[in-house]
Amino acid sequence: MAQSAENARKPLDWEKLEIGETFPAFSYVLTQEMLDEYRTGVTDPEAAFPTISHKVDVGAYNRAYTDAGSVNARCAFYCYNPPAPGKRITVHAWIADKYLRRGKTYICTEAVSVDEDGRLLDRVITHELKQPGEVGKKWG
Amino acid sequence: MGVGRSYTIGDELPPLVKHMTQEAINLFEGSAGHHGPSQFTDEATARATLGTRGTVASGRMSLTFALEFLRRYFGSSIFNRGGMVDLRFLRPVRPGDFVTFKGKITGITKEANGSRVSVEISATNQTGETTGAGGGNCLVPSGFLPPDE
Repeated sequence: MAQSAENARKPLDWEKLEIGETFPAFSYVLTQEMLDEYRTGVTDPEAAFPTISHKVDVGAYNRAYTDAGSVNARCAFYCYNPPAPGKRITVHAWIADKYLRRGKTYICTEAVSVDEDGRLLDRVITHELKQPGEVGKKWG
Repeated sequence: MGVGRSYTIGDELPPLVKHMTQEAINLFEGSAGHHGPSQFTDEATARATLGTRGTVASGRMSLTFALEFLRRYFGSSIFNRGGMVDLRFLRPVRPGDFVTFKGKITGITKEANGSRVSVEISATNQTGETTGAGGGNCLVPSGFLPPDE
Protein backbone atom coordinates (compact mmCIF):
# COMPACT_ATOMS: atom_id res chain seq x y z
CA MET A 1 0.00 0.00 0.00
CA ALA A 2 2.74 2.41 1.00
CA GLN A 3 4.67 1.40 -2.09
CA SER A 4 1.75 2.17 -4.41
CA ALA A 5 1.24 5.53 -2.70
CA GLU A 6 4.93 6.29 -3.21
CA ASN A 7 4.65 5.31 -6.87
CA ALA A 8 1.72 7.68 -7.29
CA ARG A 9 3.89 10.66 -6.42
CA LYS A 10 5.33 12.55 -9.33
CA PRO A 11 8.47 14.65 -9.54
CA LEU A 12 7.78 18.35 -9.15
CA ASP A 13 7.97 20.30 -12.40
CA TRP A 14 7.71 23.84 -11.05
CA GLU A 15 7.01 25.32 -14.49
CA LYS A 16 4.03 23.03 -14.97
CA LEU A 17 2.66 23.25 -11.44
CA GLU A 18 -0.80 24.80 -11.65
CA ILE A 19 -2.00 27.43 -9.20
CA GLY A 20 -5.36 26.17 -7.96
CA GLU A 21 -4.45 22.50 -8.09
CA THR A 22 -6.47 20.85 -5.35
CA PHE A 23 -5.24 17.84 -3.43
CA PRO A 24 -7.42 14.97 -2.21
CA ALA A 25 -9.04 15.76 1.15
CA PHE A 26 -7.77 13.70 4.06
CA SER A 27 -8.69 13.29 7.69
CA TYR A 28 -7.20 12.28 11.02
CA VAL A 29 -8.31 12.10 14.63
CA LEU A 30 -6.66 14.60 16.96
CA THR A 31 -5.76 12.80 20.18
CA GLN A 32 -5.15 14.19 23.65
CA GLU A 33 -1.64 12.73 23.43
CA MET A 34 -0.95 14.78 20.27
CA LEU A 35 -2.17 17.93 22.01
CA ASP A 36 -0.11 17.25 25.16
CA GLU A 37 3.05 16.50 23.19
CA TYR A 38 2.59 19.64 21.10
CA ARG A 39 2.06 21.82 24.17
CA THR A 40 5.14 20.38 25.84
CA GLY A 41 7.21 20.96 22.71
CA VAL A 42 6.24 24.61 22.44
CA THR A 43 6.34 25.12 26.24
CA ASP A 44 2.87 26.59 26.21
CA PRO A 45 0.22 24.72 28.24
CA GLU A 46 -2.51 26.82 26.59
CA ALA A 47 -1.40 26.34 22.97
CA ALA A 48 -4.67 25.71 21.20
CA PHE A 49 -3.79 24.78 17.62
CA PRO A 50 -1.77 21.55 17.46
CA THR A 51 -2.89 21.41 13.84
CA ILE A 52 0.16 23.61 13.13
CA SER A 53 2.64 20.80 13.73
CA HIS A 54 0.72 18.53 11.36
CA LYS A 55 1.85 20.74 8.45
CA VAL A 56 -1.32 19.76 6.65
CA ASP A 57 -0.87 22.00 3.63
CA VAL A 58 2.62 20.89 2.69
CA GLY A 59 1.75 17.35 3.77
CA ALA A 60 -0.91 17.23 1.09
CA TYR A 61 1.60 18.52 -1.45
CA ASN A 62 4.20 15.96 -0.36
CA ARG A 63 1.74 13.11 -0.88
CA ALA A 64 1.38 14.22 -4.49
CA TYR A 65 4.91 15.29 -5.43
CA THR A 66 8.53 14.42 -4.86
CA ASP A 67 11.24 17.09 -4.88
CA ALA A 68 14.65 17.93 -3.43
CA GLY A 69 13.15 19.22 -0.21
CA SER A 70 12.14 22.66 0.89
CA VAL A 71 12.51 25.41 3.44
CA ASN A 72 9.66 27.29 5.02
CA ALA A 73 10.09 30.92 4.01
CA ARG A 74 6.84 32.38 5.28
CA CYS A 75 3.75 31.10 7.02
CA ALA A 76 0.38 32.61 7.89
CA PHE A 77 -2.07 31.04 10.28
CA TYR A 78 -5.69 32.05 10.93
CA CYS A 79 -7.44 30.93 14.13
CA TYR A 80 -11.19 30.30 13.96
CA ASN A 81 -11.96 27.60 16.56
CA PRO A 82 -9.52 25.52 18.64
CA PRO A 83 -9.72 21.84 17.69
CA ALA A 84 -10.97 19.42 20.34
CA PRO A 85 -9.19 16.14 21.12
CA GLY A 86 -11.15 13.08 20.00
CA LYS A 87 -12.68 14.83 17.00
CA ARG A 88 -11.93 13.83 13.42
CA ILE A 89 -10.43 16.67 11.42
CA THR A 90 -10.77 16.91 7.65
CA VAL A 91 -8.26 18.92 5.65
CA HIS A 92 -8.71 20.51 2.24
CA ALA A 93 -5.48 21.73 0.65
CA TRP A 94 -4.44 23.30 -2.63
CA ILE A 95 -1.68 25.16 -4.46
CA ALA A 96 -2.39 28.83 -3.75
CA ASP A 97 0.50 30.44 -5.61
CA LYS A 98 3.98 30.04 -7.03
CA TYR A 99 6.63 32.61 -7.80
CA LEU A 100 10.23 33.16 -8.79
CA ARG A 101 12.36 35.46 -6.63
CA ARG A 102 16.08 36.15 -7.07
CA GLY A 103 16.28 33.12 -9.33
CA LYS A 104 14.77 30.78 -6.73
CA THR A 105 11.47 28.97 -7.04
CA TYR A 106 8.78 29.12 -4.38
CA ILE A 107 5.45 27.42 -4.04
CA CYS A 108 2.62 28.50 -1.79
CA THR A 109 0.26 25.90 -0.33
CA GLU A 110 -2.93 26.62 1.56
CA ALA A 111 -5.25 24.44 3.64
CA VAL A 112 -8.32 24.70 5.81
CA SER A 113 -9.18 22.27 8.61
CA VAL A 114 -12.77 21.46 9.59
CA ASP A 115 -13.86 19.15 12.38
CA GLU A 116 -16.53 16.43 12.29
CA ASP A 117 -19.14 18.89 13.61
CA GLY A 118 -18.51 21.20 10.69
CA ARG A 119 -16.62 23.81 12.71
CA LEU A 120 -14.00 25.70 10.72
CA LEU A 121 -10.82 25.39 12.80
CA ASP A 122 -8.03 27.19 11.03
CA ARG A 123 -6.45 28.20 7.75
CA VAL A 124 -2.75 27.97 6.97
CA ILE A 125 -0.75 29.41 4.08
CA THR A 126 2.88 28.39 3.61
CA HIS A 127 5.54 29.72 1.23
CA GLU A 128 8.27 27.16 0.60
CA LEU A 129 11.62 27.77 -1.07
CA LYS A 130 12.29 24.71 -3.20
CA GLN A 131 16.08 25.00 -3.05
CA PRO A 132 16.73 24.00 0.58
CA GLY A 133 20.51 24.05 0.17
CA GLU A 134 20.34 27.85 0.04
CA VAL A 135 19.96 27.86 3.83
CA GLY A 136 23.34 26.26 4.41
CA LYS A 137 25.00 28.42 1.77
CA LYS A 138 23.78 31.60 3.42
CA TRP A 139 23.76 30.78 7.13
CA GLY A 140 25.88 27.68 7.54
CA MET B 1 -20.34 43.17 30.70
CA GLY B 2 -17.73 45.47 32.26
CA VAL B 3 -15.79 48.22 30.55
CA GLY B 4 -13.54 46.68 27.91
CA ARG B 5 -9.90 47.20 27.30
CA SER B 6 -8.73 49.96 25.01
CA TYR B 7 -6.07 49.70 22.33
CA THR B 8 -3.95 52.55 20.97
CA ILE B 9 -1.65 52.67 17.97
CA GLY B 10 1.93 52.56 19.22
CA ASP B 11 1.14 50.44 22.28
CA GLU B 12 3.91 47.90 22.82
CA LEU B 13 3.16 44.30 23.70
CA PRO B 14 4.96 42.58 26.59
CA PRO B 15 7.88 40.65 25.03
CA LEU B 16 7.85 36.86 24.95
CA VAL B 17 11.11 34.87 25.25
CA LYS B 18 11.26 31.24 24.15
CA HIS B 19 14.15 28.81 24.52
CA MET B 20 14.62 26.42 21.61
CA THR B 21 15.91 22.96 22.46
CA GLN B 22 16.37 19.80 20.41
CA GLU B 23 13.98 18.04 22.78
CA ALA B 24 11.32 20.67 22.07
CA ILE B 25 11.85 20.29 18.32
CA ASN B 26 11.54 16.51 18.59
CA LEU B 27 8.30 16.83 20.57
CA PHE B 28 6.87 19.33 18.10
CA GLU B 29 7.62 17.05 15.15
CA GLY B 30 6.55 13.91 17.02
CA SER B 31 3.22 15.38 18.07
CA ALA B 32 2.06 15.04 14.48
CA GLY B 33 3.60 11.62 13.94
CA HIS B 34 6.71 12.89 12.18
CA HIS B 35 9.13 10.48 13.85
CA GLY B 36 11.51 9.74 10.98
CA PRO B 37 14.82 11.56 10.55
CA SER B 38 14.40 15.04 9.12
CA GLN B 39 16.27 18.32 8.85
CA PHE B 40 14.66 19.20 12.17
CA THR B 41 15.58 16.12 14.15
CA ASP B 42 18.67 14.58 12.56
CA GLU B 43 22.00 16.35 12.03
CA ALA B 44 23.06 14.21 9.08
CA THR B 45 19.79 14.84 7.29
CA ALA B 46 20.06 18.57 7.98
CA ARG B 47 23.61 18.65 6.56
CA ALA B 48 22.53 16.69 3.47
CA THR B 49 19.32 18.62 2.80
CA LEU B 50 20.05 22.14 3.99
CA GLY B 51 23.84 22.20 4.13
CA THR B 52 23.63 23.52 7.67
CA ARG B 53 26.00 22.60 10.49
CA GLY B 54 23.19 20.99 12.43
CA THR B 55 19.46 20.77 12.85
CA VAL B 56 17.16 23.77 12.64
CA ALA B 57 13.70 24.31 14.06
CA SER B 58 10.69 24.32 11.80
CA GLY B 59 9.47 27.81 11.03
CA ARG B 60 6.13 26.62 12.33
CA MET B 61 7.58 26.61 15.84
CA SER B 62 8.32 30.32 15.52
CA LEU B 63 4.83 30.73 14.09
CA THR B 64 3.42 28.98 17.16
CA PHE B 65 5.42 31.27 19.46
CA ALA B 66 4.12 34.33 17.60
CA LEU B 67 0.58 33.07 18.07
CA GLU B 68 1.28 32.64 21.81
CA PHE B 69 2.71 36.18 21.89
CA LEU B 70 -0.50 37.67 20.52
CA ARG B 71 -2.82 35.30 22.40
CA ARG B 72 -1.29 36.37 25.73
CA TYR B 73 -1.93 40.00 24.82
CA PHE B 74 -5.46 39.76 23.46
CA GLY B 75 -6.63 36.83 25.60
CA SER B 76 -7.40 33.33 24.39
CA SER B 77 -11.17 33.78 24.28
CA ILE B 78 -10.76 36.49 21.65
CA PHE B 79 -7.55 35.57 19.84
CA ASN B 80 -8.29 31.86 19.33
CA ARG B 81 -11.48 32.79 17.46
CA GLY B 82 -10.35 35.73 15.41
CA GLY B 83 -6.60 36.08 15.46
CA MET B 84 -3.93 35.50 12.88
CA VAL B 85 -0.18 35.73 12.35
CA ASP B 86 1.83 36.09 9.13
CA LEU B 87 5.55 35.57 9.70
CA ARG B 88 8.54 35.55 7.35
CA PHE B 89 11.44 33.37 8.44
CA LEU B 90 14.67 35.30 7.91
CA ARG B 91 17.32 33.23 9.71
CA PRO B 92 17.42 29.68 11.03
CA VAL B 93 16.47 29.12 14.66
CA ARG B 94 18.68 26.40 16.12
CA PRO B 95 18.70 24.32 19.29
CA GLY B 96 20.05 26.43 22.14
CA ASP B 97 18.71 29.72 20.76
CA PHE B 98 16.67 32.12 22.84
CA VAL B 99 14.15 33.92 20.66
CA THR B 100 12.46 37.13 21.80
CA PHE B 101 9.20 38.26 20.24
CA LYS B 102 8.37 41.96 20.32
CA GLY B 103 5.56 43.95 18.79
CA LYS B 104 3.47 47.06 18.80
CA ILE B 105 0.05 48.06 17.58
CA THR B 106 0.17 49.57 14.12
CA GLY B 107 -3.48 49.95 13.21
CA ILE B 108 -7.07 49.70 14.38
CA THR B 109 -9.88 49.42 11.88
CA LYS B 110 -13.61 49.13 12.42
CA GLU B 111 -15.30 46.08 10.95
CA ALA B 112 -18.86 44.84 10.90
CA ASN B 113 -18.37 42.72 14.01
CA GLY B 114 -15.78 44.64 16.00
CA SER B 115 -12.40 46.26 15.54
CA ARG B 116 -9.38 44.64 13.95
CA VAL B 117 -6.23 45.46 15.90
CA SER B 118 -3.05 45.00 13.85
CA VAL B 119 0.35 44.30 15.35
CA GLU B 120 3.87 44.42 13.89
CA ILE B 121 5.96 41.47 15.07
CA SER B 122 9.71 40.86 15.19
CA ALA B 123 11.66 37.89 16.49
CA THR B 124 15.34 38.16 17.41
CA ASN B 125 17.82 35.65 18.76
CA GLN B 126 20.22 36.01 21.69
CA THR B 127 22.79 37.82 19.54
CA GLY B 128 20.26 40.35 18.30
CA GLU B 129 19.84 38.90 14.82
CA THR B 130 16.34 39.03 13.41
CA THR B 131 15.04 35.51 12.84
CA GLY B 132 11.50 36.43 11.86
CA ALA B 133 9.36 39.41 11.00
CA GLY B 134 5.81 40.06 10.04
CA GLY B 135 2.53 40.91 11.57
CA GLY B 136 -0.68 39.69 12.97
CA ASN B 137 -4.06 40.93 13.96
CA CYS B 138 -7.03 40.13 16.10
CA LEU B 139 -10.68 40.89 15.60
CA VAL B 140 -11.83 42.29 18.94
CA PRO B 141 -15.63 42.20 19.29
CA SER B 142 -17.15 45.56 20.20
CA GLY B 143 -18.38 44.06 23.48
CA PHE B 144 -14.77 43.81 24.62
CA LEU B 145 -13.98 47.43 23.78
CA PRO B 146 -14.81 50.57 25.75
CA PRO B 147 -18.04 52.21 24.56
CA ASP B 148 -17.67 54.81 21.83
CA GLU B 149 -17.56 58.40 23.07
